[in-house]
Amino acid sequence: MTRALLPLALLVLFAFGGPLVYHVDPTAIDLTLTVAGMSGAHPLGTDESGRDVLARLMSGGRVSLVVGLLAGVVAVAVGTAVGGLATARNPWLSVATSRLLDAAMAVPSFFILLVIVTLFGGSTTTLIAAIGLTAWMGIARLVRAESLSLRERDFVLAAQALGQPPPARFARHVLPHLVPTLIAAAGVGIAQAVLTESALSFLGLGIEPPMASWGNMLTGAQQNLGEAPWLALYPGLLIVLTVLAANTVGEQIQRRGGLHK
Amino acid sequence: MLAARLLQGLIVLWIVTTATFVLIHAAPGGPAVLADPKLSAVERAAIETQLGIDRPLPVQYLTWQSNVVRGNLGRSFLYQTPILETVLDRLPNTILLVALAVAVALLIAVPVGLYVGARPDSPIDRVVTVVNFTALAIPPFWFGIVALMVVAARWRLLPAGGMMTPGEEGSFVDRLRHLVLPVIVLALPISAELIRFTRAAVRSNRGAPHVTPAVARGLRSREVTGRHVFRNVLLPVLTVLGLQVPILVGGAAVTETVFAWPGMGRLGVEAALGRDYPLVMGIAVVVAATVVLANLLLDLAYGWADPRIRAGS
Amino acid sequence: MRTAFRGCLVLATLFGCSRQRPPERSLRLAIINDPIMNAPLSPDIGSVLINKIIFPGLVRPSDSLTPEPDLATRWTISADGRQYTFALRSGVAWHDGRPFSATDVKFTFDQILDPSSGTLQWSDFSVVDSVTIVDSLTVRFWLKSPLAPFLTLLGHNAGIIPAHAFQGRIADAVGFNRSRPIGTGPFQVVESVPGSYIVLTANLRYYGAKPGLDRIIFKIVPDVNAQVAQLQAGELDLATLEPANLRGLESDPELRIEHVSVPQHYYIGFNQGNPLFRSSAVRRALTLAINRQAIIDGVLRGFADYPQGTIPVALRDYFADSLPKIPYDTTAALALMAEAGWRRGADGGLQDHTGRPFAFTLLVDKGNPSREQTAVAVQQDLKKVGVAVTINTMEFASMVRDYVVPHRYEAYLVWWNTPLDPDQFSYYGSGQSNNDVVYSNRTADSLLTVGRATLDPAARRQAYLAFQAVEAIDPPVLVLYYPREIQVRRAGLRGLPPLGIRDAMRHSERLHFEPR
Repeated sequence: MTRALLPLALLVLFAFGGPLVYHVDPTAIDLTLTVAGMSGAHPLGTDESGRDVLARLMSGGRVSLVVGLLAGVVAVAVGTAVGGLATARNPWLSVATSRLLDAAMAVPSFFILLVIVTLFGGSTTTLIAAIGLTAWMGIARLVRAESLSLRERDFVLAAQALGQPPPARFARHVLPHLVPTLIAAAGVGIAQAVLTESALSFLGLGIEPPMASWGNMLTGAQQNLGEAPWLALYPGLLIVLTVLAANTVGEQIQRRGGLHK
Repeated sequence: MLAARLLQGLIVLWIVTTATFVLIHAAPGGPAVLADPKLSAVERAAIETQLGIDRPLPVQYLTWQSNVVRGNLGRSFLYQTPILETVLDRLPNTILLVALAVAVALLIAVPVGLYVGARPDSPIDRVVTVVNFTALAIPPFWFGIVALMVVAARWRLLPAGGMMTPGEEGSFVDRLRHLVLPVIVLALPISAELIRFTRAAVRSNRGAPHVTPAVARGLRSREVTGRHVFRNVLLPVLTVLGLQVPILVGGAAVTETVFAWPGMGRLGVEAALGRDYPLVMGIAVVVAATVVLANLLLDLAYGWADPRIRAGS
Repeated sequence: MRTAFRGCLVLATLFGCSRQRPPERSLRLAIINDPIMNAPLSPDIGSVLINKIIFPGLVRPSDSLTPEPDLATRWTISADGRQYTFALRSGVAWHDGRPFSATDVKFTFDQILDPSSGTLQWSDFSVVDSVTIVDSLTVRFWLKSPLAPFLTLLGHNAGIIPAHAFQGRIADAVGFNRSRPIGTGPFQVVESVPGSYIVLTANLRYYGAKPGLDRIIFKIVPDVNAQVAQLQAGELDLATLEPANLRGLESDPELRIEHVSVPQHYYIGFNQGNPLFRSSAVRRALTLAINRQAIIDGVLRGFADYPQGTIPVALRDYFADSLPKIPYDTTAALALMAEAGWRRGADGGLQDHTGRPFAFTLLVDKGNPSREQTAVAVQQDLKKVGVAVTINTMEFASMVRDYVVPHRYEAYLVWWNTPLDPDQFSYYGSGQSNNDVVYSNRTADSLLTVGRATLDPAARRQAYLAFQAVEAIDPPVLVLYYPREIQVRRAGLRGLPPLGIRDAMRHSERLHFEPR
């Protein structure tokens, strides 16, 4: 468990702890020193505006990690709530929620995301809300499908026969069985959010420069792919590592959850 | 029964269209055609009248809804073309790309998922897990650009984007060559995700009440998988696939943009960025209708995959 | 090359190799979305480019930027400068074989003069009162007042469309506009695949020189990285790119990188309706505080010309090369600021006598790295003289419609892309429709009015030189640079005139490939 968390912890430490020892302004440009290699002043070189790459990786990491983590949490929370409500025995509640879910599922959420982001701009808060609120549907669907299946199982039917009220039944007998799935989904959600932010950056709609995110650093670096591939390598590697780490945590917990069955 | 389902579908479509209308009209800026700072007030007014955006929002909404009911999705601001025609021009291209990517992903993912799911923690399981996670972790746009730069631009093995070479419209090989890179880029994360879910489903099912006795009866692993697990595994796989339809159209948007593929996803990005209200809403309607239909089929498939779910419950 | 060959051997059986070159005489160029093929409607650069090939105008810009005959062979101008009579070329046929005549010219301008037709050229020609047919090959334009740039505007975007192809509004002619346009140009559309490409073939009936190419193919490639990849892969022959996209192309032996001056000036507009920017001393000080050379070298990689006023160097005859270029002089900037009542406070920031700091918000459109980087460079330069700039990045459409046009902003970074004429009355004349910076200078007004109405080139030149001298003292905007348009061409492509791609496309019949 702790071992699974280690990579993620290291990434967090790099992004949040780094600036405590490395004091370079990530937005300061130097037009006389663009796309420079490693040097004493710039340990990882500079980008196309002559900004310090290491400092930008740290500040960009804070943004990307916060966006990924919070958007993932928003998606899982909304998804579980909606998915749970959609399986309620109260026909009105379940039908209304199900139609809402169907509608949300039927929209190409990426376009909605684009519209929301153009509407409110590319601030961190907007991105967290927009990515989270357009990514919960899959989780809700999963929760609905699995709890529909689960509630036909003997132990849930027994609880029903014993007269337990539906919310308690869901919380006590269905939810625990969903935990591994949810955690795996949260891992995917966080990973997805980090990737979505980078895709938005590619379309020019992610975190807005001069503020850094790993996504917009990767996008900016593609112009210099021939001359300075390292500019793409660093943020690309950090995105891959973050997604890997988030997925691994999910996987480990799911595995543990699966053992006690 | 079917009528009730269709009615539900229509309600879903109504929610989708209304929500899209509200969202897009709340956005600042307005249609890109009005963004030219050179336009004089006279021209701005003429354009607004022509596009019909000078009327009050409720009027615009009711006009639009009543037109949609009569099968008229309006006309694109950007292209001055009828929406339905514009979307239907592009839809087959996206369906081709997405369907091929899903087919490729299924062909890879189901066998691999079943195989490694039956062998938890074996070396091959670990290898697949690592490959899988890496595949999920690579930003698709980045993978696409690198593929373009290396495979197409440097090695010249495959075309650098587009759907066909002008002058070779009839050539099947030419079409296929254009499909290879975008299909791979699109299929990679889908297959990784499907492997994940297949594997997880196989695992949880191997511990399920109806499987344990089979194992106890001494059935071999392959028979257990084939006879008892496969059906139950289909449920999550179908779920994931069902979820993927609108997400795939979104994912396709990025892939289509990178590879200059004339699909609906890219059209949607252009529409959203150019604030082409009727086009965004038209695409939402078409995709939503497709998904509603797909979900109907999916629900039927659930009934088949898990007999405990009775239709209508 | 060797890698490519080995790779080919390995995968040849599977995919074959993209070795086969298209016929040497076709040119493939990139645009980013489906164009509207109807000259008066052209909403974007892609449409403008293709329409310049399909729909010639009455005149076109020559290599020396002056109007030369195209569909009109000669013209006379009345003494008061208000009547233009054009003799049209005889024997010209539309792509469908029907004869071209004065009716088509009148039809085109009737559309342009009616904003409800959907045209985007109304303001270019709002000075035109009416167009009359004298005989089948003669048309007369009646102007409300003399307009010096009139001929240049006729050669700019005003391509002639066929009257016989339309019933009702031109905006409704979807078939024509999207797939089957009919023009009189050297190339005609034979195939249009939405989202993919448009194929034009040489027009055998063309009235001018025989086209040097068999086909021109406009490929729709939205992402610039894909454009770069296609250039390298030999799948594109011509594209205009930004300086940042050139890395990797510079060393490609099959490609040539050319750059030409174009009539554009990039600038920061200060809202002079705001008291902060009303003083000319303040605007001059801000102008002096920017290190333009660093921006040109660092951001634009040298692909820009150092500016002096709002009339760019591309307009050769009217650019005031005798005036000094804007210096980078922070000391002078601080002196001017002090003159206007702004002095450095304890924290180094400029403040007035009440202690109010000199600070403003700079709007910049998002998605364009050069402009975003330029904005940051400006922010840092101004910080050095104690001016605090906050950058607000937003979508271009929103910036224009919600902030610039209603004048609800302090400063914004944009550019003007003009016809090949120095007339800037609508941008910088007091109270004019495009004067979003609310600049007002009596002398400038009268000079711009004279320049606009005087047909004699020498007198016009004097007026614009004087205008640039006024700008040096009372700058309407902070001019940043004149960008150069970078054209990446396949080696062996010949015949492109030394103009921006927009104007070069008026001469598409001259394009050809050097025989190998």
